[in-house]
Amino acid sequence: MRDFEYLPTKTIHEACSLISQYKEEGKILAGGQSLITLLRQKLISPSYLIDIKGVSELDYLTFDEKKGLRMGALTTHRAIEKSSLIQNRYPVLSEMEKSVASVQTRNWGTIGGNLCSGDPIGDPAPSLIALNAKIKIVSSREEKTIPLAEFFTDYFTTILEPDEILAEIQLPPLVAHTGVVYMKFSTIEAGIKIVSTSVSMILDSDKVTCRDARIVMSAVAPVPFNARKAGELLIGKKINDDLIAEAAQLASEETNPTSDVHASAEFRREIAKVLVRRAVKEAFEKAKKA
Amino acid sequence: MEIAKKILKVKVNGRPYEFLIRPKTTLLQLLRNDFGLTGAKQACMDNSCGACTVIVDQMAVKACSVLALQVNGREVTTVEGLASRDGKLHPLQQAFLDHHAFQCGFCTPGKLMSAKAMLDEKPHPNEEEIRRDMEGNLCRCTGYTQYIDAIKAVAQKKEGSK
Amino acid sequence: MLIQEKFVVKAPIKKVWEFAMNPDEIGRCVPGCEKIEKMDERRYLTIVHAGVGPIKVRFKFISTITEMDEPKHIRLESQGEDLGKAGTFTQTSDVDLREIAENEVEVSYVSNINVVGRLATFGERVMRAQAKKIGEQFIRSFKERIEAKKEITA
Repeated sequence: MRDFEYLPTKTIHEACSLISQYKEEGKILAGGQSLITLLRQKLISPSYLIDIKGVSELDYLTFDEKKGLRMGALTTHRAIEKSSLIQNRYPVLSEMEKSVASVQTRNWGTIGGNLCSGDPIGDPAPSLIALNAKIKIVSSREEKTIPLAEFFTDYFTTILEPDEILAEIQLPPLVAHTGVVYMKFSTIEAGIKIVSTSVSMILDSDKVTCRDARIVMSAVAPVPFNARKAGELLIGKKINDDLIAEAAQLASEETNPTSDVHASAEFRREIAKVLVRRAVKEAFEKAKKA
Repeated sequence: MEIAKKILKVKVNGRPYEFLIRPKTTLLQLLRNDFGLTGAKQACMDNSCGACTVIVDQMAVKACSVLALQVNGREVTTVEGLASRDGKLHPLQQAFLDHHAFQCGFCTPGKLMSAKAMLDEKPHPNEEEIRRDMEGNLCRCTGYTQYIDAIKAVAQKKEGSK
Repeated sequence: MLIQEKFVVKAPIKKVWEFAMNPDEIGRCVPGCEKIEKMDERRYLTIVHAGVGPIKVRFKFISTITEMDEPKHIRLESQGEDLGKAGTFTQTSDVDLREIAENEVEVSYVSNINVVGRLATFGERVMRAQAKKIGEQFIRSFKERIEAKKEITA
């Protein structure tokens, strides 16, 4: 890779100050599991690398009954996977993290870095969006909190300005009768995922009418994809198999996948339909019991 | 642009070292070029094969995707540090031999380090857990079966069931 | 990587041909086009910048018209490289114009692009998606500009 100035930081303040100084000439380094590869492949060559892996104030996992989960951007995938807090409160996240990349990547790579890479095949984003996540973005100028669903704009592109840093991920507490499911499909178990989906469903107290539903998918669009129409189809209705099948069909039609060496667009569409149908059904069953 | 070299303080296979290095040096380059520890291998250029796996502070990581400066103040263990000083092989190394686990040997150091990190954290994994935790180490020769058998043998032996 | 597109333009076939053969006009339809320069009767030099996320490229390439059948068909062969050394590419494009009604022309093109180098390693799917997006933008601009021109000159 090409040379760069290495600037390790210990505080978020320091990091913001440096990135606002260098802007597009600088890049934030956390776990580097996406960044270092790009550097080695010489596809990018920033002049300054601002290392925030040592900023301990960004590495935390806390939960509050009222506010929900607060996750620092530097929390590693492995920490999320293994956290008993996560396994108790948001088990779908631990489940999803088990199949993110490999143990080695999960040990060093961070959730913040993963989201900022903007990869549409990433699994954390759809799961977090299904759980209604918000993210806190900081810079020397301001601090703002936005829904994660609004973060991604295109392939590998987020709304982050050149001087901004993703600091925190926030999840609201789960309400009663909520079922959240993560499901994936790969042709090789340990291989790249063809399509994955995260579905969250909230039922009314009658445990059969849907109050809210979110169907979010990876690898079917340039961004983590929220199949809004399919989700809205379910809201306010009594859930049954026919309705689920209709939602799955609609979700599949909303997608816009491309073909690549792993799967054709048509195959992805079809798999999306099957996965969504199964995931919605399972989310419904889980919500009934919750 | 004259790039400032940085000081790196790191323990490798139990011994402390201090280096002045160019920031763009990856941990893999440091180990192979500066230490001459060529067990960890460069293969895929894509952060996906695991042939470069080493252990940093009890965690299996891919050395090709970690900047050397990021392990400042940490402890690194490589395959060269597995056997004891008197040359006695680590149980995993012995098991790999006993079970004919490797063929060309290129992925083997990475496999050993991933397996060691796994067993150090979780001494008795079942086969499913072994298979899942070893997913990050690809092998083109063997078809994986003997590797899994070897690791299983060590996992079971520690239980004292043999 | 094969890219195929078909679209209809509301203009007489002669105008569409003239438009397509005019480097200035075409240049303005291609997103990221910095310049198209006519080198001689058959060759054009083009510089285009493009990007995906953090990756930015600047392609410099020479296109040669290897077949021409006015006003129906043209074949272009291009060869170029990224000025940042991320890759090189070769491309063969066939563009066909078909008059389907008075003042209505169907434009179809088939492009075979071969990318070599780090850019190809990065991911065929992203390149393909970007190529598709650039293609769609090109078609939109082409239609807008040629149909607007018609209104002014008519």
